[in-house]
Amino acid sequence: MTLIALISAIVIASSSLAWEFEQRGFSSFAVWILIFGVVWLLAIWRRWKWYSPFALISATILAALGLYLDFNPGWMFAGGVFALFAWDMAEFRQRLYLMAADDDTRGIERRHLARVSLLMLAGLFLASIVMLIRVQFTFEWGVFLVAVILLGLAQLVGWFKR
Amino acid sequence: MRRSIFLSSLVYGLLLAGLITLRGQLIALAIPIVLYLLFGFWNAPEVLDLQIERRLSHDRISPGSESVVTLTVTNHGTDIEELMLDEKISPQLSVRFGSTRHLLRLAKGGSHTFTYTVAGPRGSYPFETIHATATESLGLMRREQFVRSNERLFIFPEFRRLKHVSIRPRRTRVYAGSIPARIGGSGTEFFGVREYQSGDSSRTINWRVSARHDENLYSNEYQQERVADVGIVVDARTHANLFGPTRSIFEYTVAASAALADAFLMQGNRVGLLVYGSFLGWTLPGYGKVQRERILQALAHAEVGTSSVFAGLEHLSPRMFPPESQIVLVSSLVNDDLNVLVQLRGRGYQVMVITPDPVKFELGILPSSQSVDLAARVVRMERDLLIRRLERAGIQVLEWDVSLPLDQAIGPVLMRHRRLM
Repeated sequence: MTLIALISAIVIASSSLAWEFEQRGFSSFAVWILIFGVVWLLAIWRRWKWYSPFALISATILAALGLYLDFNPGWMFAGGVFALFAWDMAEFRQRLYLMAADDDTRGIERRHLARVSLLMLAGLFLASIVMLIRVQFTFEWGVFLVAVILLGLAQLVGWFKR
Repeated sequence: MRRSIFLSSLVYGLLLAGLITLRGQLIALAIPIVLYLLFGFWNAPEVLDLQIERRLSHDRISPGSESVVTLTVTNHGTDIEELMLDEKISPQLSVRFGSTRHLLRLAKGGSHTFTYTVAGPRGSYPFETIHATATESLGLMRREQFVRSNERLFIFPEFRRLKHVSIRPRRTRVYAGSIPARIGGSGTEFFGVREYQSGDSSRTINWRVSARHDENLYSNEYQQERVADVGIVVDARTHANLFGPTRSIFEYTVAASAALADAFLMQGNRVGLLVYGSFLGWTLPGYGKVQRERILQALAHAEVGTSSVFAGLEHLSPRMFPPESQIVLVSSLVNDDLNVLVQLRGRGYQVMVITPDPVKFELGILPSSQSVDLAARVVRMERDLLIRRLERAGIQVLEWDVSLPLDQAIGPVLMRHRRLM
């Protein structure tokens, strides 16, 4: 469960940033952002603990740079928020390694994911407000936000059913 | 770096960038991180109030056997979102089943029980500290508590019980036992003939001797059997036990000492122990099961240490080893030991040496070659010479081929010895 969330967060974070940079004509930069995402995935596989903080800092700097260059703030916020989510998941996975086989791993995972997901949704909500104020609520961003909300709701319904 | 500090630095960086560039978006980018941090601070765990109970299924085991450790953690404080319990155990102990580390959620007043199974080599292993770390679900804020306890697991040396060990010290104690006391009285072994005294049983009258004398009757006298003082000296010197980084004969020395102490105590004797390594580990003499426990605990602790010769062994404390008592040295022997042992014998001690054979032990490990065989022959000759010298000084030496169990290798000799003496 955590691994899926982690991989999804890395993919979303790096592709959100890459997408907007590509849209603004920074194609080679977008490729490097995608490579950065792939390396992050590789770091998860190779258990490079140092990479997650580095990746969060990098993604935040990229998002800040995009915002400074007046890129679409939705994608930049998505990049920053999901990088934070991925960093949290990577750290959480380190804690999960310490658990014994008979511990309630699924319970702890479920609670953690629920809380972090809610926090991320709150972050995205705030980002949306910022965008509404700046009247930059683009169609792509709207689709993306709906998809994320639906995904979160589906997950919540699934947990409650269990 | 702690996670909260890391995130706070990121937030401050974004705020600073926003202020410098006068871009509100950069400040807004910090909002999700601030939310995340606030959630962590809001749910920060309070001071821990944990009670931890530990039970060992067996606190005295032998090498190879297992003890189940059961830990019950009760939370007397507030709800703990994530509680990491890390039991620090000796690295020499191996966990066979379960885990010493657990991550769990513990509500107020709730408790959690977990078990794990440990095994290990001979030794004494304290369970001193359990490290409890509580965090909120994001892992930003943490509280720690070190819960101390005094449980200890003893892994006693494994030994096979010796039925009887014959000794004959010059001096015995007053209590009845099984050691011939060189004094006439009631007993089972014939000691001598003396003039009949009023009160002697008619069964004890030696009619043959009495028939040769017209005036007096003579009675048989039997040797009294009493308990004795026995001091066991365990040779824990490095150079007498270690033959390389991994080859040690010390475990055999310890096992033999345990078997001997057990046998002597079973016979009712007063037994003391001296572990001679880098320091002198004394166990004062005593009787019975309590003393057996003390000696086994001392042997569980015993480790090899650096000491060249038996320096000071000739000046034994009379409290520890009463004069003319029995001393049993368990040692693989080195050439320098001759003088000290002869001096002990000269002071009136009855000295017995049980010596695990280091030559056969080493030959069993080393690859067979001409040079190894030659070296073994030379060492064997030196050792035979040393043993012969010791025997000539009146010291009883029993060599133990450690490929055989002690009771099989020298047990019969120890028992037979009683009849010969």
